[in-house]
Amino acid sequence: MKGSKNRISYFDAKRAGIVLMLVLFLASPCLAKLEPGAEESGKNDGKEKKFDAGKVIIDKILDAYEWHVADFGDIYISIPLPVILMYEGKWYFFLSHKFHHGKKAYKGFGIASEGSKRGRIIRVLDDGKTPDPNASFLLDISITKNVVSIIIASVFLCILLITVARRYTHCGFKKAPSGLPAFLEPLILFVRDDIARSVIPEKEVERFLPYLLSLFSVIFFNNLLGLVPFFPGGANVTGNISVTLTLAMFTFFTLHLFANKEYWKHIFNTPGVPFWLKLPLPLMPVIELVGVFVKPIVLTLRLFANITAGHMIILGFVSLIFVLGATATSMGLAVAPLSVVFVIFMNFLELLVAFIQAYVFTFFSAIFFGMAVPEEHH
Amino acid sequence: MELVSPGLGLIFWKALAFGIVLIILRKYAWRPILSTIKEREHFISNSIRHGKRIHQELAELDATKEKLLIQAKEKASEVIKQAKLDGEEIIQKANRQARQEANQIIEAAKNSIMAERKAAEREIRQQIILLSMDVASKVMQKEFSDQKRNDEFISKLLDEIQLN
Repeated sequence: MKGSKNRISYFDAKRAGIVLMLVLFLASPCLAKLEPGAEESGKNDGKEKKFDAGKVIIDKILDAYEWHVADFGDIYISIPLPVILMYEGKWYFFLSHKFHHGKKAYKGFGIASEGSKRGRIIRVLDDGKTPDPNASFLLDISITKNVVSIIIASVFLCILLITVARRYTHCGFKKAPSGLPAFLEPLILFVRDDIARSVIPEKEVERFLPYLLSLFSVIFFNNLLGLVPFFPGGANVTGNISVTLTLAMFTFFTLHLFANKEYWKHIFNTPGVPFWLKLPLPLMPVIELVGVFVKPIVLTLRLFANITAGHMIILGFVSLIFVLGATATSMGLAVAPLSVVFVIFMNFLELLVAFIQAYVFTFFSAIFFGMAVPEEHH
Repeated sequence: MELVSPGLGLIFWKALAFGIVLIILRKYAWRPILSTIKEREHFISNSIRHGKRIHQELAELDATKEKLLIQAKEKASEVIKQAKLDGEEIIQKANRQARQEANQIIEAAKNSIMAERKAAEREIRQQIILLSMDVASKVMQKEFSDQKRNDEFISKLLDEIQLN
C-alpha cells in the first residue's frame, strides 16, 4: 500500500511537471516574440543569434549525426560520426561533418530541418534543402550519437558486470560481498526478489532472471548516463522511442517465446467468461489479442515519455534564462538562480525517475512473463 | 512528430547491442553472480539450520545430564538408606544372637550349677549319712557289724531321703 501511494504521488509530481513544461512551451514563443525585431533580423542575415527554446529543446532530445560537445563563441566543437546509408541498392559511407552541421547536402543527402523526419537524413533536391518528393526508401543505419552512447554504455556495463562476476567466482560463496559486488548485490537481489519472484512462478524465475537483470541494468545505466550533461553522457538514449520500442520488442518476443499453453488458452478461450462473449462474435479473443500488442506499446511509451519529459523540463528551466535574457539581460540574470535551483531539484527527481522507470519497465516485463507462464490450474 | 517516429537505424543498432549485451551478461555475469548468491544463501540457511540443530542437541544433552544427575543422586541416597537399614538389621541380628548366646551360656551355667549343686548336695548327704552311720554303728556296734547289710541299708536310706 505504501509503495502504491508513493507511486501515485510520484505520478502527480510528473503530471505537475508536464503541465509546467506545457506552460513553458506555450510561453516560450510568446516570450521570444516579445522582441519581433530580433527575430526578423535573425531570419534576414542568419548571423544574429536567435534563441528558439522549443527548437533547441527538441534538438537536444532528438538523435544526432554528430556529437556536439561545446560551443565557444563561434568555435563549434563536435565529434563527427560515421553515416551509413543504403539508397537504391548502393551503400554510402562517410563522416557526418560533410553535412556541415546540417547546413549542407552531400551526395544528394541532407538533414531534414523540419517535418516528421526532422533531424534525420533524407534525400534532397539539387538545391540542397528541399526534400525530394520522389525519393524511394532510404535505409539509414548510421552510427548516430545515440548509437555511440549505446555502445559506450554496453561496453562499460559488460566490463563492470563481468568484473563483478569475477570477484564473485574468485571470492566464492563463503565470503560476504565487499566493494563493487556489495554495491550491486542489493540491486540484483531487488530485481530477483522484489521483481521476478513476486510475479513469476517460482520454478520459472530462473529462466527469465538473466533477461530481467540485463534489462534493468541497461535501462538504469542508460537513464543515469542520459542525466550527465556532457560527453560521454547527454545522449537521450532511453528517451528515444526507437530504443524503448526495441527494448519492448525484446520483452514481447521473449514473452511469446516462452509462453505456455495456458497463456494461449487464456487469449483465445478465456476461462471464466460467458460463452456469448466468445461465440459467435469473438469479443474476448479480440480484446485479449489487442492486449497482447498494447503491452509492448505501453512499455515503449511509458519509458520514452517519462525520460523525455524529465529532460524537457530541465532544458526548459535552462532555456528560461536565455529566453528572458533575450528580452532583457537583467531579467535573464534575475531568473537564473531560480532556474538553477529548479534544475538541481529536477536533476534529483530525475535520478529517482531513472531508477523508478528502470524498475517499472522491468517489473511490467516480469508481470507479462508471469502471465505468459501461468501455473496449470487443472 | 519527429519525437515519436521510430528510426530503423537506431532500432537496428539497439537490437544488436542489446542482444549482444544480453548474451554476454547472461553467460559471463549473471550466471556466476546468481549461482554464487544462491550458493551463499544455501550455505547460510544450512549453517543456521545446523546451528539450530546443535543448539537443540545441546539442550537435549543438558536435559539428559540433569536427569542422569538426579537419578544418580536418588540412587545414591537409596543405596545409603538401604545400607543404613542393612546395618541396623545386622546390628539387631548380632544383638539378638549375642543375647541368645548369652542366654544359652547362662542357661548352661545354671544347669551345670544345678547339677553341681545336686552332686554337692548328694555328696553332703552321703557324708552326713556316713557320719550318721558311723555314729549309729558306733552306737549299735552289734547290730551293724555285717558290712554287706550295712551298705544295702545306707543306699535304701539315701533313696528314701532323696525321695523326700
